[in-house]
Amino acid sequence: MSKTEMDRRRFFRMTTGGALGAALATQAACLKPFVKETASTPQRLEIPTTCELCPNKCSVIAVVDKGVIQKLNPNPENPKSRGMLCARGNAGIQQTYDPARIKRPLIRAGERGEGKWRPATWEEAFDFAAEKLSAIKEKHGPQGTLWSSTESFQEIFFKNLGLAFGSPNIVRHPTLCLASVNLAYSVTFGTVPSFDLLNTNYVIMSGANRFEAFITPDTMDLIDSTMTRKARLICLDPRFTVTAAKADAWYPIKPGTDMAFILAMLNVIVGENRYDKEFVNSYCVGFDKLVDHVKPYTPEWAEKETEIPARDILRIAREFSDAAPRAVYYAGRRSSWYQNDFQMRRAQAILNALVGNWDRQGGMVPNNKIELGEYLFLPWDDPKAPRIDELDKNFPLAAKGDGAYLKLRENVLAGSPYPVKGWMIHKQDPLNALPDQARTLRMLNQMDFVGVVDIQMSDTAWYADVIFPESTYLERLDPVEVLSGIWPVVVLRQPVIKPLHDTKTTLEIVQGLAKRLKLSDYFDYTIEQWIDAQVKELPLQMPLEYLRKHGVWAPSDVPKYGSTLNPDHRFITKSGKIEIFSERLQEAGHDPLPVYHAPVEPPAGQFRLVLGRKAFFTHANNTNNPWLNEFSPENHLWIHPSSAQSIGVQDGDRVEVTSTVGSVRIKTRVTQEIRPDCVFMLHGFGKRTKWQRLACDVGASDAQILETAWDKVSGNAALHETFVKVRKV
Amino acid sequence: MTQPNKRYALIVDSRKCLNCKACIVACRAENKVPLGKSRDWIGEEHHGSWPKMMAAFEPEQCHHCASPACVRVCPTGASWQRKDGVVLVNDSDCVGCRYCIIACPYDARFFREDRGVVEKCTFCVQRLDRGEAPACVETCPSKVRVFGDINDPGGRLREILDTRQYRVKKPETGNGPQIYYLL
Amino acid sequence: MKHIEWGWLIVNYLFLGGLSAGIFFVSALATYLQEKDEFVHSRIAKYGALLAPWPVALGSFLLIFDLGHWYRFYKLFTHLRWESPMSIGSWLLLLFTAITLLYFYAWFPEDQREKLFARLPRKLVFLKKLNRDLSSWRRWLAMIGFPVSLSVGIYTGVLLGAVQSRPFWNTNLVAQMFLFSALSTGCAALIFSLSWNRKKLDPRQVRFLYTLDICFITLEFFIVLPYIIHGELSVRAVQDSLSLILGGPYTLVFWVFFMGLGLLVPLAIEVWELAPVLMSKASIHHNKPLAAFAALLVLMGGYLLRYIFVYAGQISTFR
Ligand SMILES: Nc1nc2c(c(=O)[nH]1)N[C@H]1C(S)=C(S)[C@@H](COP(=O)(O)OP(=O)(O)OC[C@H]3O[C@@H](n4cnc5c(=O)[nH]c(N)nc54)[C@H](O)[C@@H]3O)O[C@H]1N2
Ligand SMILES: Nc1nc2c(c(=O)[nH]1)N[C@H]1C(S)=C(S)[C@@H](COP(=O)(O)OP(=O)(O)OC[C@H]3O[C@@H](n4cnc5c(=O)[nH]c(N)nc54)[C@H](O)[C@@H]3O)O[C@H]1N2
Ligand code: SF4
Ligand code: SF4
Ligand code: SF4
Ligand code: SF4
Ligand code: SF4
Ligand SMILES: [Mo]
Repeated sequence: MSKTEMDRRRFFRMTTGGALGAALATQAACLKPFVKETASTPQRLEIPTTCELCPNKCSVIAVVDKGVIQKLNPNPENPKSRGMLCARGNAGIQQTYDPARIKRPLIRAGERGEGKWRPATWEEAFDFAAEKLSAIKEKHGPQGTLWSSTESFQEIFFKNLGLAFGSPNIVRHPTLCLASVNLAYSVTFGTVPSFDLLNTNYVIMSGANRFEAFITPDTMDLIDSTMTRKARLICLDPRFTVTAAKADAWYPIKPGTDMAFILAMLNVIVGENRYDKEFVNSYCVGFDKLVDHVKPYTPEWAEKETEIPARDILRIAREFSDAAPRAVYYAGRRSSWYQNDFQMRRAQAILNALVGNWDRQGGMVPNNKIELGEYLFLPWDDPKAPRIDELDKNFPLAAKGDGAYLKLRENVLAGSPYPVKGWMIHKQDPLNALPDQARTLRMLNQMDFVGVVDIQMSDTAWYADVIFPESTYLERLDPVEVLSGIWPVVVLRQPVIKPLHDTKTTLEIVQGLAKRLKLSDYFDYTIEQWIDAQVKELPLQMPLEYLRKHGVWAPSDVPKYGSTLNPDHRFITKSGKIEIFSERLQEAGHDPLPVYHAPVEPPAGQFRLVLGRKAFFTHANNTNNPWLNEFSPENHLWIHPSSAQSIGVQDGDRVEVTSTVGSVRIKTRVTQEIRPDCVFMLHGFGKRTKWQRLACDVGASDAQILETAWDKVSGNAALHETFVKVRKV
Repeated sequence: MTQPNKRYALIVDSRKCLNCKACIVACRAENKVPLGKSRDWIGEEHHGSWPKMMAAFEPEQCHHCASPACVRVCPTGASWQRKDGVVLVNDSDCVGCRYCIIACPYDARFFREDRGVVEKCTFCVQRLDRGEAPACVETCPSKVRVFGDINDPGGRLREILDTRQYRVKKPETGNGPQIYYLL
Repeated sequence: MKHIEWGWLIVNYLFLGGLSAGIFFVSALATYLQEKDEFVHSRIAKYGALLAPWPVALGSFLLIFDLGHWYRFYKLFTHLRWESPMSIGSWLLLLFTAITLLYFYAWFPEDQREKLFARLPRKLVFLKKLNRDLSSWRRWLAMIGFPVSLSVGIYTGVLLGAVQSRPFWNTNLVAQMFLFSALSTGCAALIFSLSWNRKKLDPRQVRFLYTLDICFITLEFFIVLPYIIHGELSVRAVQDSLSLILGGPYTLVFWVFFMGLGLLVPLAIEVWELAPVLMSKASIHHNKPLAAFAALLVLMGGYLLRYIFVYAGQISTFR
């Protein structure tokens, strides 16, 4: 490619400002082949691949010089991640070159959690695990094993091993994360939409902390529309987050009262006939029932609940409906908040439906998908035993197959309906991800066998019997993945260097175990065959070559709106319409319309512990990354000056934070950036694993004091229901 | 690469800055900046009191000044400026006297104990000379920084500076800073 | 963000450089006044000549030692950069050191010299050529040395004063302040060495040095005052930076130890010593230990001035 041509491509990379510019650049870039080598230095390769440091899966271009990764650059061809890589994405190099990586399989030598390991060959590790798993199968049946994982491109293989093994007990991360919000929107719209933040004129972010908890493209869309296009941003959050700092108005809402705020908005919008009548009549059912339902929920009433002035609620409701359909009440992502979270998200969904922002530019848009082919592997027969968490009984509406993590833990501990004695864990750190660490440890310790697939020594791995080290995302070839959304894309993750250590991919690990568990027939394919099957349907001449060259493929047309906007479109709901009133919920014994229940207040002298993200950490998993740790070498307990004074602590004092399940010691950060009735601490510190030097015994682990609670409908964890005492030590 | 009267400069739209630190890590990776030191950083300002508060974040780095004090005071000429305005340090001439660090009004320079020389933002010359944007500019989620040739009449920098209000920092120190902060 | 880059090595460097400059200046002056009064001045000139080279030599070593790459110091002399005070200064110091060394040799007592060369090992006999009497050069060297020593004295101040980015420094008064401080430390060093000496010291010698020192200290004092007044009337940043010595971390050192003990007290002592002369024809009070004490105070004051400026200056900045 000629120099000028190249310069033009680079020029885009260097000067595309706002999101729109980036989008343009993307298209322009799509049309041109991508240089993988800079002619001048053949040694220097630029290999496109996909980030794995958080769920966003941004497109990366790895710069590799003489087999060493020098730099990870953003790949502007991906319209979801645009030309961006966040701090974590940039620090991905450190994950691969971490000297404390697990370099070969390890088998426990000492007591669980003692940290004594025997380096093993893969054969040993496979034999060891297979033996244990078979023994458990003998004694308790396949349902005696638990297979838990968090999303990743290779998760499918791990899940399938569990299923082929015959276990119904697959449990995934959604019930720690977004199960309730997803269910609420599915129940209402039959699908979970995206929010067109780039084109919207009015956004209400209640809790969702987009400017610190990155979601692509939402984060970039929102900063662009609020700062460049002057869209109004209203932020409700007990903490003064970066999102709050950028918002036109921030309300430190009283925690757990969001539904009151939404119901009051509904009250105004219905009362003042501000809803989109035409839309409601032709697309929704049950509006009539809503009219009376929201009458009592006046702004004045809501003011008492939320501590947000009635006149502001009134104003926001009016502005919101005036701005509609280019107005959204953002659904939020991590909805593991309160026990009535599902109903609160339902109220949001109804509010959005009422102003008719559905499938319109600047509103809510049902996700477009790209169909991938599937590799036809030998199917296995469905597990016979019921799930250990008795999902059908406890959460009949919940998404099948993901399970309900906390209820599951209760039942495993109770050994009912049957004992579970084997636990396989993939790309997950339950010891930190679940509330009440002591309880999770008890569940772990009653297992006869615990196997962990991870890339580093997590707290959970620290307690495992055998650890299967996976190659990092920069070392492996993964199945291609569709990132659905308003502008969906297909991404490929390919190795940019050879594995540094004696590690394997999940598929290889699964196959190694399958062989010894006599399940090989179900897994006799290579990753290449799998990918070929996936991509052959794509409308490209040589799909795989294209993806290897570009790392990402976006159908180059701009987003489409309104595909569902014809009155005889059937929504995937019972009535085929958008369900304001839900008979399904009624039948399942839940409120068919969201009914408000005031949250329990913290007893005098106690505080509500709330959780949240920082832009430079992902969950609990990279506080040990030196390039990220430097921004927060330890976590602190955020506490408001007035509260600090009332319990006589100063900024930086060591305090003991106690809940009914545990107690931790941590330094305070006395700050006005949080409500006086709340405290906050960052996730991922106070670790047990000695291999994570920077996070071990530094700060405190929130998981150790969080109490167990879940949302009634979805079974999603309720992680903001813990009250703590704070005492100077 | 450096044609006459090409002049690189930076526009910063601080309002868009999320304080996410991506630019700092990107620079560390691109330029192998040792932990504990940084060529770029984010200034924070917090005003007001509960519940009426505000926070502002402002990216900082070398301003690649028009008449840079660092270059002026350097006894060996190790600190020098390219025709395109990029201010650099020539390691092999740097005796490590640190006079330039003291002379820089923006505290943009630091001493590398391990190598006995002074280091600073280079606008990622190695990338510029490949026709790529500086790492911190490229990686930013909200594209806070806009980089380019300020003398290019048709360029983006001119386009923005001609239509937006902006300020430069500490002009009174007479260095002619070339980072333009939009208001 | 900001932290101290230049520490005590630089403080010593500035102090010792100035000290040599002062010593040389006074000694050179004495060399001139010799005709008028051989006995009085030759002794001062000689002491000065023998002392002058060593502080600056030591100071230069400290500077080199402070570099990130001491072995690269020669690069300072492979470049000459007019805009860089440090570049000019390095060359100046080189020249000055050379002059002081020649001057030293020119004043080196003949008998000593002979002894020295007599003891030369056989291999080094060719060095005998160097055994020459340069006493005739003294006045020439003094003459060339005057401007050079003054420049060195000024340079130690310009090095800091030239830095616009540090409001605490960026005033044209710093150079003069450092110059007169340097000259007065030079005097003090000579007063001290003379009064520490077994030989009975002649009141007229002390009188000469006192008179000089009183002038220098007074001048210094009347530069420090306007420095502060100017600053207070100047822009915000300069006022802020002055708060470092007016109600800041360096207030005590500045007022009590520098201004008080380092400037005014010795001034008082010296004036008191001279008082009789000023009053009547009577000869001065003459108290060796007191003289030595005053001299030490001046030296301490000179050192603290460098300390305060180097440290306070670095943390001062424009908002
Ligand atoms: N206290 C508290 N608990 C929470 C949350 C919170 O904010 N606070 N957030 C909740 C939410 S929203 C979620 S989504 C969950 C997330 O919970 P987890 O899924 O447990 O998230 P991480 O803590 O990131 O743990 C991921 C594990 O995967 C490993 N890993 C990373 N990359 C790879 C890889 O390529 N291969 C393999 N095999 N392993 C890899 C990491 O080392 C880490 O041990 O946590 C939930 N729990
Ligand atoms: N940098 C970064 N980005 C991430 C992740 C990460 O770990 N790091 N994780 C990804 C994942 S898996 C997820 S699920 C998402 C999470 O994305 P978000 O859900 O947007 O992120 P959180 O920080 O969990 O948001 C919780 C916020 O809700 C506030 N809050 C607590 N209680 C209440 C309440 O009662 N009412 C209101 N209105 N607000 C409340 C908290 O103060 C906190 O700011 O982020 C994704 N992106
Ligand atoms: S948001 Fe950051 S961590 Fe997540 S995928 Fe993108 S670059 Fe990686
Ligand atoms: S990357 Fe951009 S948004 Fe993030 S801190 Fe740097 S300038 Fe601010
Ligand atoms: S900012 Fe400082 S280092 Fe950069 S050019 Fe200006 S004076 Fe030199
Ligand atoms: S430290 Fe190096 S670059 Fe800076 S002034 Fe001294 S020699 Fe020049
Ligand atoms: S331009 Fe390059 S060197 Fe300068 S701060 Fe940005 S990334 Fe670092
Ligand atoms: Mo999540």
